[in-house]
Amino acid sequence: MINTVLNVLSDIVLLIGLFFVFLGMLGLLRLPDAYNRLHATSKIATLGAFGVMLSIVLRTGFTPLGVKAIAVGLFLLLTAPIAAHMITRAAHRHGVGLCKESVVDEYGKACKLSKK
Amino acid sequence: MISLLDFSLIIMVLAFIPCIYRIIKGPTIADRVISLDALTTVIIVMLGAYSYDHNSAFFMDVALVLAVISFVGTVTVAKYLDEGVVL
Amino acid sequence: MKKYISLAAVLGIVWCFIHGTFLGIVWCFIHGTFLGIVWCFIHGTFSFNSFIFGLLIGLVCIRPFRFLYKPESNFNLFSPPSRIISIIRYFVVLIKEIIKANIVVAKIVLKPKIDINPGIIAVPIRCKTDLGITAIANTITLTPGTITVDISDNKSLLYVHCIDASDPDAVAASIRNGLEKYVLEAFE
Repeated sequence: MINTVLNVLSDIVLLIGLFFVFLGMLGLLRLPDAYNRLHATSKIATLGAFGVMLSIVLRTGFTPLGVKAIAVGLFLLLTAPIAAHMITRAAHRHGVGLCKESVVDEYGKACKLSKK
Repeated sequence: MISLLDFSLIIMVLAFIPCIYRIIKGPTIADRVISLDALTTVIIVMLGAYSYDHNSAFFMDVALVLAVISFVGTVTVAKYLDEGVVL
Repeated sequence: MKKYISLAAVLGIVWCFIHGTFLGIVWCFIHGTFLGIVWCFIHGTFSFNSFIFGLLIGLVCIRPFRFLYKPESNFNLFSPPSRIISIIRYFVVLIKEIIKANIVVAKIVLKPKIDINPGIIAVPIRCKTDLGITAIANTITLTPGTITVDISDNKSLLYVHCIDASDPDAVAASIRNGLEKYVLEAFE
């Protein structure tokens, strides 16, 4: 009984994770500049991948496959913010401009002030 | 009737297309780095779905190594863009 | 197998005593234990033998990188139980915020016409220690519509790229009152 419930639950979580990864890639296509694209990939795609790994854990339990899936999911969740932060800072210092809908840019002002 | 593995692989192949488009078309170098990182995430999800269906742990090792290499590569390219040198 | 375990324990202790100070030995063992647990995750089995094997490999691995593991002077091994409760509360809030963030960005992506007004704003923070600043920066990246870009030179301002920056003060206030409170309780 509980096995059937866990199997159905893991299938649902797998479908949700796949849907979120697909949404992240759609955001990569549609959003206007590099910073906004980073919003899509670093949040939605990471949670989607974590969902797929969670579904594997729900299906198999604490076998070697499940434990490795936990390791992959936690590693993705831990390193995605660091990679996003480094790419954003590097892009801004390299001179990638914000898109034309942008409102404020405090960091550019601060960089100009410190250069003078 | 298609199986769950076929369905997930079809969705992930559809998710490949925006990444490839961004890698080729992307206006700046930061877009290309971001889309390569996202491409690695998609490949990790594909490997996860495959090992989910076949119930074997071998592809999970590949996914783990791919996650580590993707993180190190992204940080390296970001550091190169930032400072001009890697080490 | 018993023989190997005792041999490994003796080797590890001898290896750690090369470090000199007592605090250095304690820090070496803490990081070695962490690496042993990571080895258990990668190997796929939770058993005592694989943990000891990972501990030994971890001690060998952190030996060349000793200069990165600076022992903090005010480190206490037994933190009070109230802090553990606040750390658990912080993780609960973090999970809730991650799910909320995904729904917010997914709504923006799925709209037929994208009308956003992004921008980089400056948020003043109250955290002083490096651990607290790292925690608040990573938390900001995982919460709705914000990514940390950089920190100012005197460590009092965070520059945050925000997907909806039409009202900068409201975003700064929500970060200060919502998330930073839990981070301050948990890590400082």
